[in-house]
Amino acid sequence: MKRFFAGLLVVLTLLNGGVVRADTKVGLLLPNTGVLAALGTAISEGFLLALDEAGRSDEFTLITEDTEIKPAIGLAKARKLVYQDEVDVIVGVVSSGVLGALRDFIHGAETPLIVANAGNNHATGRDCSPYIMRVSFSNGQINRPIGTWLAEQGVKTAYTLAADYAAGHQMIESFGKAFTDGGGTIIGSEFTPFGQTKDFSAYLTKAQAAGADAIFVFYAGSEAINFVKQYHSFNIKTPLYGSGFLTSPLYVEAQGDAAIGVIAALHYLPTLDTPENKIFVDAYRKKYGTIPSEYAVQGYDAALSLMAAVDAGGNSRAALAQNLPKIRYTGPRGPLRIDPKTNNIIQNIYIYDTVRKNGVLTQKRLATIPGVRDDAAGCKM
Amino acid sequence: MQNVAMDVSFWILQCLNALQYAMLLFLLSVGLTVIFGLLNFVNLAHASLYMLGAYLGISLAALTGSFWWALLIAPLLVMGIGAGLYFTLIARLRTAGPMNQVLVTFGLIFVFLDLVRIGWGDIALGLAAPPALSGTLHFLGINYPSYRLFIIGLGGTVMAGMWFILARTQIGAMIRASVENTDMAAALGIDVSRLFFLVFCCGCALAGLAGVAAAPILSATTTMGITILIPTMIVVVIGGLGSLEGAILGSLIIGFIDVFGAVLMPSFSALLTYALLAAVLVWRPHGLIAARG
Amino acid sequence: MFYQSPLRTITLIAALCFLAIYASFGSYFAREIVIEIIILAILAISLDFCAGFGGMVSLCHGAMMGIAAYFYGMMSVKLGWGLTASAGIGLAAAVIFAGCVGWVTARISGIFFIMATLAFGQMAYTIFFRWRWLGGDDGMGGMRRFDLSAWGVNLNDGLIFTFWALGILLLVYILSALLLRSGFGRSLSGIHANEGRMQALGINTATIRTQAMAFSGLMAGLAGILAAQHTFYISPELLVWTLSGEVLLVVILGGIGTLVGPIIGAILLVLMKHSISAYTDYWHIFVGLVLIFAVLSGGRGIFGQGEYWWQKYMRGQHA
Repeated sequence: MKRFFAGLLVVLTLLNGGVVRADTKVGLLLPNTGVLAALGTAISEGFLLALDEAGRSDEFTLITEDTEIKPAIGLAKARKLVYQDEVDVIVGVVSSGVLGALRDFIHGAETPLIVANAGNNHATGRDCSPYIMRVSFSNGQINRPIGTWLAEQGVKTAYTLAADYAAGHQMIESFGKAFTDGGGTIIGSEFTPFGQTKDFSAYLTKAQAAGADAIFVFYAGSEAINFVKQYHSFNIKTPLYGSGFLTSPLYVEAQGDAAIGVIAALHYLPTLDTPENKIFVDAYRKKYGTIPSEYAVQGYDAALSLMAAVDAGGNSRAALAQNLPKIRYTGPRGPLRIDPKTNNIIQNIYIYDTVRKNGVLTQKRLATIPGVRDDAAGCKM
Repeated sequence: MQNVAMDVSFWILQCLNALQYAMLLFLLSVGLTVIFGLLNFVNLAHASLYMLGAYLGISLAALTGSFWWALLIAPLLVMGIGAGLYFTLIARLRTAGPMNQVLVTFGLIFVFLDLVRIGWGDIALGLAAPPALSGTLHFLGINYPSYRLFIIGLGGTVMAGMWFILARTQIGAMIRASVENTDMAAALGIDVSRLFFLVFCCGCALAGLAGVAAAPILSATTTMGITILIPTMIVVVIGGLGSLEGAILGSLIIGFIDVFGAVLMPSFSALLTYALLAAVLVWRPHGLIAARG
Repeated sequence: MFYQSPLRTITLIAALCFLAIYASFGSYFAREIVIEIIILAILAISLDFCAGFGGMVSLCHGAMMGIAAYFYGMMSVKLGWGLTASAGIGLAAAVIFAGCVGWVTARISGIFFIMATLAFGQMAYTIFFRWRWLGGDDGMGGMRRFDLSAWGVNLNDGLIFTFWALGILLLVYILSALLLRSGFGRSLSGIHANEGRMQALGINTATIRTQAMAFSGLMAGLAGILAAQHTFYISPELLVWTLSGEVLLVVILGGIGTLVGPIIGAILLVLMKHSISAYTDYWHIFVGLVLIFAVLSGGRGIFGQGEYWWQKYMRGQHA
């Protein structure tokens, strides 16, 4: 009997074109509730789109787990994915705190993790692991280029503001170091209570009074919306610069005209004029009815890398961990590859201005810093 | 001389920032505190009504094309929702004790949170200030956003109106009498339950008004209700539950502590309001201005 | 007043058996769920102790738990102390925090007490959120479980750890029940019923309240150390006030002032959350509706309502 079924299987396989493609089990670890839920949605939309476009949705079994924004819950869910669902790979992780909590577990469980957002420098720096690949960005990667660029533009002094949490500090430190190395001076710096500050007027007034050439900030989500609108309403003459999350396409419409003229740096712009990006933007718009954000492209690239790695060596955990860092291709955001020294992505960083064109807010690229890579920063694989 | 002028204008600006935040807190806390004073009811869902005000305001502004219509209609809609809540839940809970009221209205916060997520999504929404108020006003050597001045004016107007109604009108006298002693007021022929309903609706409308008014500055997020709940409760508790003067005093204290804490000791600003709340309660367990003797 | 009635004993045993069976025969995640339930149940018993019997509805129980977890982590990971000593320090920290809150708030009651405890809890949360040395908002890892290999017990085995946690839950229940039956427990219930009368009787109510909070802190601290050892990771979310609100919800859902009700409440809330979130991200709405329903249907909670019916039935039998 057993032999009969084995024979049947061989026949079916031959009929199928001779390729046995076992399903790949993917754990999608994203926040579906809480303040980061919108980011989680964008990432999973991008991920699904890539599978869909490749016509390979059937080949990947997705198991979705909600991390909220709580590191302990994220860790519990990751354990569930590994021990109970026995996934081949985990994709996702939005908040740096969750990534920090997962690190030792992922490393010990030898299950590959494709980070699709969390930018914590340490994850591909001093705490790096051969099982953690990042296709999104690192906090330093986004902010160093704009620090250097700003100094090159002749800006002498800057005042910085950011939300008071780990990511905020990393973003501002990276910017500050690059800006100072380029010959600039940071004349003042403030961190605002994270999640509590909705009205930035007190800080804006202080930043204005400092009299710097530029204000550089890191805010994301609703804090970014509020900050940009309030900066605009105070009619502050010091120009505003920031990490690109400040005027992300995901919520720039909520900022309205206030976003115009804000200069920021990001690893993806929906307006990039490349064939890969055109295809992506059209497909995304067709499926979801909106312009893709950098979060959507992170999910998209996570899926593209995963499919490429499966094709290269199958879907066992070890093979995926081995093949994922070898990925290189040109995607919507330009040429990208994984740095074997850190497992962080090497990609272009774009400096852009938000403008109104044909009635809608859109991004105008001012400069491209190609192939930005992080130095090893204590990472030993 | 130049520096001194700089300094003076800096502090004037910060005072205005504090005043503007205080007025927003006042709009929210006054409804909460008067409802408590009169109905002896702690309505945590007040914060959800504030959130609904913001979201409805944004939709109405998109629909009518005018901020002013939104500012007028959204509070009325929120008042309608409040009236619905009154008949289904609040009236039933009048005698259920503060613990049960806190719990039911806490449950309502959860319900409204997800209803808003279903209706408007997870992405924060913005509302543009009306064109007439989108610029800045120049006075006393400073530039200040007109919209923020408008909020200060709005808060001041509501404050004055409340005072006038409570101190100078017949209905105000009835409300004061009922706060003082409900049974006595009923014995004197005041229709207490109708009065309660009226006050509850007005409180809800004020929460909605605060929501629309705040939207151009703070935008609308699904967590805005829970986030504002704490400072509002702090205002009400510091001031003394049920006291109008307490709400005014509490709003001003929290507004100024928040802004000047951020300016003068930023490392501790996140702790300051909590420390103040704890200190006030330890010193005066019923708030600074207790509503009843 | 607290009575360990036969119905309560039966319910307690049934609940513990259910958890034990669910963990033994369920999948990996079933054990995770059981431990989540146990931690929440310990916290809820701790809250029921001071809220249900002493009238002190606290919103800082999450903070008590988090402080114990953080001190355990700080001593064992950052300072390299032994695990037992670290756990002792963690518990002591929670007791001291809870005792201080109880002492300072001894004159405060009702909604003002809720707000005062919220303030202290949020202060603790803010401090750990900003404390870079302990990882700040990212939290910290590296916690280890007790080494009981001398007794042949390996806590790193998931199932064994679950039974260990069940044992702690039982211990917490027994300790609370014994304490509530003592003279101290009677004084506490007396304060809840009528504080003025107890003062007139010459009882220092502030001391009793302080002690009750401190004991509550001890139990919350046990939950904290259990949580730290369970996930090997702690983060400031443990201390945030909404977690304390969730604990209160569990107490109300199960039945306030029954001590066994909180265990039932924890089982129901956690199972409900997981089963609903498998279908929809909008599980808050169900939690909210259940809470509203629980209060509107008499406020006795699931176990409290059952007990009420049972007593009514028994009285009918005797009459």
